Amino acid sequence: MTRQLLMSVVAGLVLAFAASLPAQEAVAPDADAASRDQFRQLDQDVQSLKKEVLDLNRDLFLLEEELLFPANSQVAFFVSMDVGEYFKLDSVSLKIDGKEVANYLYTDREAGSLLRGGVHRVHMANLKTGGHELVAIFTGQGPQSREYRRGATLNFSKGIGAKYLELEITDRVKKQQPEFVIKEWE
Amino acid sequence: MKIRNLLAGLLVSAFAASSLASSGLAGQPAPDFALKSSTGQNLRLSEYRGDVVMINFWATWCGPCRQEMPLLDELYSRYQRVGFNLLGVNIDDDSSRAMAMINELGVSFPVLFDARKEVSRLYEVDAMPVTVIVDREGNVRYVHQGYKPGYEQKYLDQVRALLRE
Repeated sequence: MTRQLLMSVVAGLVLAFAASLPAQEAVAPDADAASRDQFRQLDQDVQSLKKEVLDLNRDLFLLEEELLFPANSQVAFFVSMDVGEYFKLDSVSLKIDGKEVANYLYTDREAGSLLRGGVHRVHMANLKTGGHELVAIFTGQGPQSREYRRGATLNFSKGIGAKYLELEITDRVKKQQPEFVIKEWE
Repeated sequence: MKIRNLLAGLLVSAFAASSLASSGLAGQPAPDFALKSSTGQNLRLSEYRGDVVMINFWATWCGPCRQEMPLLDELYSRYQRVGFNLLGVNIDDDSSRAMAMINELGVSFPVLFDARKEVSRLYEVDAMPVTVIVDREGNVRYVHQGYKPGYEQKYLDQVRALLRE
């Protein structure tokens, strides 16, 4: 008797559980959709936060440059290479008004980037308005893999506003020698 | 017993913190540099980003360096294929002596010449040898001053742990 009673209670519970299942299934898709939405929202928030951080980083970088190198005293020096068959660049050293300010060693990868058209900012300086002398010394391998060391000098005038100077290495096909020229960007 | 363990733990962590602090560079981004190497190429540290890099400062007049270098070379030969690089930085004024020693010891890792001592100043080298281990992100993780037999096991453990990161 007790056993029968127990069986009927268990059967009742099973029926009740079975009846509750469809209801749960009906609720589940809503919960899933809600959590998906939440997840999407979170993803968007993270993306926008990332963008804000990148923007802030860029602004800080520009601000730092403006502070360290104010536009009216800023002078930037760039190195570029055109062709480069007669010269394998090893290093560039810069002297401004007789004082060494930069000495940059180029790895094969960096020299390769220059050959592919890259331009390298080798130095930034703050200079007073007026006349200055720039001496650039290039070392590397010249024709027939000989050690090569050449200098180029430019007397330039620093006015108001930023100034950009390009140290260009080109090939002089007629002489089969490299050529080193310093140009002022207008 | 618990208090004893706790005290021991505190002591160990205090010691670890002080050894990190004394190195100064540990935890900081490794200062970038480029130097001429024994092969004639210029090598730049930042071009090894993504690899675990060991920088070993040494000199020909330093006895422990001579002892340590073949062991470092073993480490280099073993782990080079899985993203480990070793740059030996020689600080002698005359690089020909360094070349002679490299040939004598038969080391295969690249040796760079810091005759102007610019890089050793950058890494605050005030003992010989100094071994700096840089992780894949380009941060200094360990700085070892000097060399005593057994240090190579420490290097091995640290390099392996960083390679796994």
